[in-house]
Amino acid sequence: MTNTRIPDVRPKQPTAARSAPVAAPRPSARDRGTRLLATLFLAPTIVGIVVFTVVPIVGSVVLSLFHWNVIDSPSFAGAANYREVFGDSTVLVSFRNTLVFMVFAVALQLLIALVLALAVNGRMPVWLRSVFRSAFFFPLVLSAASISVVMKYLFNQDFGVVNWLLGLVGFAPVPWLTSENAAMATVILVYVWQQFGFSFLLFVGGLNNIPKEIHEAASLDGATGLRKHLTITLPLLSPTLLVASVVGIINALQVFEQPYVLTNGGPGDSTRTVVMVIYESAFEQLRFGEASAVGVLLFVLIMAVTALQFRLSRRFVHYQ
Amino acid sequence: MTDSHLTRRTLLRYGAYGAGAAALAGTAASWDRLTGADIPGRDDGSLVVATLGPAYGPEAIRTLTEGFKRVHPDIKLRINAVQAVDWSDFFAKILTQIAAGTAPDLVYVATEGVQLFAQRLGVPLDRWVKRDAEELREYFADVHPSLVESMMYEGSLYQLPVEFNAADIYLNNQVLKRAGADFPAADWTRDDFTALLRDMKRASGSQFTPYFWTNRLWGGVVPWLFANDTNLLTESKAPGGAWLWDSFYPAAERAGRGGGFRWTTPQADHARVEEAYDYLASLIEEDLCNRPEGGNGQNLIGVFSTGRVGVTPAGGFWAGGLHLAGMKAGGFDTQYFPRWRTQRMQFGAAGYALLRTSKRQEEAWEFIKYAARRDTLMRLFNTNQTTPARRSMLTADRYRETGPDRWQVFYDTLDKFPDTGPIPAPPQVAEVEQVLLKHTGTALASRRAVAPALRRMQSDLEKAMERDV
Amino acid sequence: MNLSRARHSLAPWARIATLAVCALLTLGPVIWTVSTSLRVPAESFDLPPKIIPTDPTVESYRGVFDQIDVWLLALNSTLVTALIAVGQMITAGLAGYAFARLEFRFKKPLFGLVLATMMVPLQVTIVPVFLVLKSMGLTDTLLGLIIPAFPTAFGTFLMRQYFLGMPKDLGEAAMLDGCGPWRIFRSVYAPLAAPGLAIVGVLAFNYHWNEFFRPLILETSGQNYTLPLGLVSLQGNLGTGSISVVLAGVVLSMIPAVVVFVVGQRPLREGITSAGVNR
Repeated sequence: MTNTRIPDVRPKQPTAARSAPVAAPRPSARDRGTRLLATLFLAPTIVGIVVFTVVPIVGSVVLSLFHWNVIDSPSFAGAANYREVFGDSTVLVSFRNTLVFMVFAVALQLLIALVLALAVNGRMPVWLRSVFRSAFFFPLVLSAASISVVMKYLFNQDFGVVNWLLGLVGFAPVPWLTSENAAMATVILVYVWQQFGFSFLLFVGGLNNIPKEIHEAASLDGATGLRKHLTITLPLLSPTLLVASVVGIINALQVFEQPYVLTNGGPGDSTRTVVMVIYESAFEQLRFGEASAVGVLLFVLIMAVTALQFRLSRRFVHYQ
Repeated sequence: MTDSHLTRRTLLRYGAYGAGAAALAGTAASWDRLTGADIPGRDDGSLVVATLGPAYGPEAIRTLTEGFKRVHPDIKLRINAVQAVDWSDFFAKILTQIAAGTAPDLVYVATEGVQLFAQRLGVPLDRWVKRDAEELREYFADVHPSLVESMMYEGSLYQLPVEFNAADIYLNNQVLKRAGADFPAADWTRDDFTALLRDMKRASGSQFTPYFWTNRLWGGVVPWLFANDTNLLTESKAPGGAWLWDSFYPAAERAGRGGGFRWTTPQADHARVEEAYDYLASLIEEDLCNRPEGGNGQNLIGVFSTGRVGVTPAGGFWAGGLHLAGMKAGGFDTQYFPRWRTQRMQFGAAGYALLRTSKRQEEAWEFIKYAARRDTLMRLFNTNQTTPARRSMLTADRYRETGPDRWQVFYDTLDKFPDTGPIPAPPQVAEVEQVLLKHTGTALASRRAVAPALRRMQSDLEKAMERDV
Repeated sequence: MNLSRARHSLAPWARIATLAVCALLTLGPVIWTVSTSLRVPAESFDLPPKIIPTDPTVESYRGVFDQIDVWLLALNSTLVTALIAVGQMITAGLAGYAFARLEFRFKKPLFGLVLATMMVPLQVTIVPVFLVLKSMGLTDTLLGLIIPAFPTAFGTFLMRQYFLGMPKDLGEAAMLDGCGPWRIFRSVYAPLAAPGLAIVGVLAFNYHWNEFFRPLILETSGQNYTLPLGLVSLQGNLGTGSISVVLAGVVLSMIPAVVVFVVGQRPLREGITSAGVNR
């Protein structure tokens, strides 16, 4: 793959725009051809998105302005659903929970993935490296719902394997799923366990692309170990970090299966996430208008966080 | 660029062509599968029945469909087993279909949803019950009036119950033996219960929980509220229903019956409710019982059958489950829930609700009757995965292989304690349940937490009950 | 490709031992699941867990095949997952190329639109989606699961990165030779796209093979159920199913995902490598 690597492609510089006019012998015809091709190539994706995402979203936004219980016909509610949502402590708590979840889950996921990727990248037999890589990626191929059922048993306070293991080294049993303080931590743990493999693979890939010479030069300058990673590897890896954190955050803000199966949002509201609230108010309480309003707010939140990330990334992300 | 690279790339390219061709061929070959065209009887005016998947395996569906065909060869029937993990998934599915105008004709509904469906979606069965009274006499004679009453709403009957489960107590005999304790008597009290848990704890040590329960509406805190002669919401009975009681039940059995339950004013902050929570909190503090754990109790069968739990509340459905988990018939037994102020127990029942939107109501009624027949239920419930609503089906023979020895407890819970009633499930049940589970989790964090958590539960319940569903 | 570049302060054996412990922790729950599915239900909850069953039995697997129509469910799952994977490879490959290498109006907002679909929770739009499918006559068909899954935001993003990572002088050279935009795509860039497409395919397979909520809502007939839906039956009424049988079902359903992962591991790694780096 060595010949396919271009170090300085940046998002803000549409490459074709710069190169096409320079070399094109018959610009207008070629442009028409390009535009036609672009239309054809984009059609399946854009049509699909419009029909199966944009139209339903517009539907949800409209629905958020109505009271609708599915059974009777909707009645116009104006901003009532939004007022209701902002006055509902469960909804507010769920937003807080989701943000807390996002911060810790993404940070932990990136940290574990990064450390393991650096460690796997060190000197070791090729087969061993391959074993480790497979192991760390493996949880990603499992279904979140069924693995959560397994985890629920493993984390049981009284009979679970986790507390038994802790008991072996002298720890008292931890109420992993049944105390307000521990439950969120457990949900985060289970989520990170399943998800870190993805960031891990991204980092392994990113590290492979850092030119060997840079490290050698650094070593000659006397940089070693942690310092070398902090001052050299990390900045070079920052574009990968950005991708991993953007995808990680988008996914974390939509977490549903793990808390739904492990704790069902409890104890109290301590692990209730925004998507759980959406699901509950729509399908359990028949408040589709309010559920849509919460959905719209979540959508706005995710957009805002992602936009913020890209803004910050201009300062912290270095391209080779 | 090396040769091996090129070869690999070429290989990949042909691989891609191959995959594309295979996909095209596969798509063409399986077009009928993809469009569902190979499923006989789709959208052909069949009567459509939605059942809960895990309760109705493919075998059960075949039994139901074939049996119905023999009785009513002229009515086409389709049974959709909704593969939902719990009731909310099930409702999600049904509601989506209702929203899209593709609702089934009949929906299998448990106590949790009886009033919600009755109020919003259901058709009362009264006129058909009256019309076919002679045919149904045998059914009602076999089914306890408490079960029938739990399917009534504001004077009308909305379902014929086919199964139920009361929260009785299951005890592990091996754990009892280890503790040197006798099997509890039918009239045991709450204090006997506490003493038994202490004996068990002493004899069994760590990694053992004497009393295990799941935080849910059925079989969670509510049995303790009932035993302490209270309820989450004030309970009264709607007027009406005499048309049914008078024609099907003898005077002794219809005394006090009405037109179905009304659950209205929240009373979570009442002294007796607090007392019940305080009792559970004290059990937790003493390590005699687990903290409230959410979910469907999936791990419970395993830990009970292997002696890691001594006592747990469950209904007849557990007999089959324990058998599946490899427990021998003599390994466990059942007893009534212990007496506190009363020995009133709680149950949940289920049957088929007929939807207002159905255009095949006559046919649907025929199915309701067919599904409640004794021979149908005998075939359907042959593994003791639930308690049949018909008394005559509970026999020594039925429980010989699975246990328990005291199988009479299941139906006697209704017969011996006529005030035994359904879990509180008003039309606002979803919110009520959520509020209950949520604050039960926090209330039982410690004994000090009980009172404030119940106050919050009360105000949330008030909000929930004010809402028009 | 020489990977061992970084010299670490940690001794190699300590680093490898730590990695081994981490790998064990990662695979622990999976190992427990497999081993429990091979034990009799009565031993499911033994502590210490008998990781190597003293008396292994495939009884639970027989139970799975007795209780549900595994072959039909697997056929449905395979059809759905394979066609979604192929469909996503096509849509993502084409759209990714357009966003990376073609110039047209509204490119940025369109790309933003594609990315934004990643941010919409499924639970919010499922009822409107159901209504759209109903108007197309696709409810309760496998196609109804497949077609809406064709557009893929992450796949498109990935393929765009992938094409951006290819040297643009290749295309420019072809253009000087008089190749039109289609020829440049067809003969220069498309042949290089295989590893990127493989990762789109593998990720699609992983996700949709395990999908539960969409099939639950969209499929009505038992004949149209996918494997994750069918497995729910094993849990029994009110969770009374045998835990060994439930786990045997989980293990069976993860086999194809594992196979795809093992086979697709190399392109997956290469694809992700270039996607993560070039911005």
